[in-house]
Amino acid sequence: MTKCAMSETRREDLLAGDPEGRRKAMAEHLDKCPECRAETEAVERLLQETEAVRAEIRAAAASVDWETLPGLIADRARAASRKPERAPSRPWGWLLPLGMKPALAGLIAGLVVGAAAMYFVLRAPGSRPDRDLGFYASGEFLDRAELEMARRNTLDYLEKSQYVLLDVFGSARAGSVTPAALRSGQTRDLLARKKYLNGQLERFQMSKAKAICDQIEMLFRELSEISEEMSAAEFERIRGFVEERQLLLKINLVRKELEREI
Amino acid sequence: MRKTIAFIGLAVILSFGPGLRAQTAADEALFREAKLLVFDKDWRAALDKIGELGDKYPSSPLVGQALFYKGECLNGLGGREREALRAYKDYLKSAEARANLVEEAEGRIIDLSFDLYDGGDAAALREVEARLEHKNMVVRYYAAYKLSLAKDKKTAAKAAPVLVRIVETEKDPELLDRARIALLRVSPESLKDVEDRTPVRIGSPRMLRIRIREGGRKEPVFSLNIPFALADLALSALDEDDKAALRKKGYDIKKIMGDLTRSKGSILKITGDDGSVIEIWID
Repeated sequence: MTKCAMSETRREDLLAGDPEGRRKAMAEHLDKCPECRAETEAVERLLQETEAVRAEIRAAAASVDWETLPGLIADRARAASRKPERAPSRPWGWLLPLGMKPALAGLIAGLVVGAAAMYFVLRAPGSRPDRDLGFYASGEFLDRAELEMARRNTLDYLEKSQYVLLDVFGSARAGSVTPAALRSGQTRDLLARKKYLNGQLERFQMSKAKAICDQIEMLFRELSEISEEMSAAEFERIRGFVEERQLLLKINLVRKELEREI
Repeated sequence: MRKTIAFIGLAVILSFGPGLRAQTAADEALFREAKLLVFDKDWRAALDKIGELGDKYPSSPLVGQALFYKGECLNGLGGREREALRAYKDYLKSAEARANLVEEAEGRIIDLSFDLYDGGDAAALREVEARLEHKNMVVRYYAAYKLSLAKDKKTAAKAAPVLVRIVETEKDPELLDRARIALLRVSPESLKDVEDRTPVRIGSPRMLRIRIREGGRKEPVFSLNIPFALADLALSALDEDDKAALRKKGYDIKKIMGDLTRSKGSILKITGDDGSVIEIWID
């Protein structure tokens, strides 16, 4: 409550006058009256603060998308209405007493976060980029895998063929009736495997390997046909044939080439 | 009278005997020469010899056997696939066909039919499809493998049941790997099913996964999920540039496999100089 001597009526008269005269009379009064001066200053401060708040409100209002806002509010209202109504639970209620001890609460929160991080790190030594469970490989990759397989299988075929041939010739020298390699059906197995190699060797243009494998195939076919009643003379004939065409040497050369490529 | 008949019979046999022996020796020699020419891939000369054998000794049992080699010659000459196919089929019908060559002839028929299909004769593939139910397991397996290479994915998928059977029952590692790769090509989901059904030792990995990402990119430029049994083969079949990047970082296939097996499933992350990342892990 002001203690100024200017009455309410006097003030109303003052405010009702012309603006210029009013401003002048008011300024004269404020020079003389410290109470009214203090009151005027307080009102000015209030007006300044109000102006600052208005500026903030204008900035906030400018950031709102007024067109989508109604839809957003409606969506949230619908989502809220779908949630079952439940009494608010307090899973962390046991921590409430710690609210009075912020340092202790911080320490416990740190331990919980650290333990969770340790669990995830130790559970999977490295994080997996994805978890899809099906098999898949591109056609291009499968072609490369088949080329690799062709090299390995050809190498294996040549190695085994060498053993069979050496066994056949060793048996012929020792005068055995039928070599073990022929008795055990190894030549037949090799013939069956050669079928798969044919296509691969052609597809991957491994012509040298194909040529030698074809010759071995022919030889084994011959051996498998006559093995039942093979005489020492027949062994000698085949051995002479293999030596003449240096088949074992050729096998070794192609093997070396394939080994270098693998 | 009986004595007279016996005498005449003996005389007839003795009179034919040397001739029969001579013919046998001559047709055998001719057949052997033809086979030697086949061995040396002198297809035209071998074909002539086989023709000569048939002309000179039409009743020789070797003429039937020579049909297989006739097929070989026609196949080798190129451009005469249909004639070759007929020769192999004739061989299979021949009374002189031998068990070991029957399997071979079936294989050649599958190959030739597939080549004709590749050349645009879609109907030729029926010969391969028909052999998916062949009584001989070797023929059945080979037909399935070959069919899996067909360009038409729907047709290729017909091989899946036989390929699954190979993975389920075969012990031969070479055949198993072939069947697995063929299934990856035509029906990866069938392979997954059969691999999941196959019991493995506890803790043994089932799957190998590889991802290769170029520097700064999230999406991999190369992705692979394959049975662990093919891991060694898969790592060998990586692109040469990727293999070179691995080598540069001191990794070879043996080391990768060793590290993966020891770490029991952890991820192996190798960053190349260009920022590309190779991730390999097992499940």
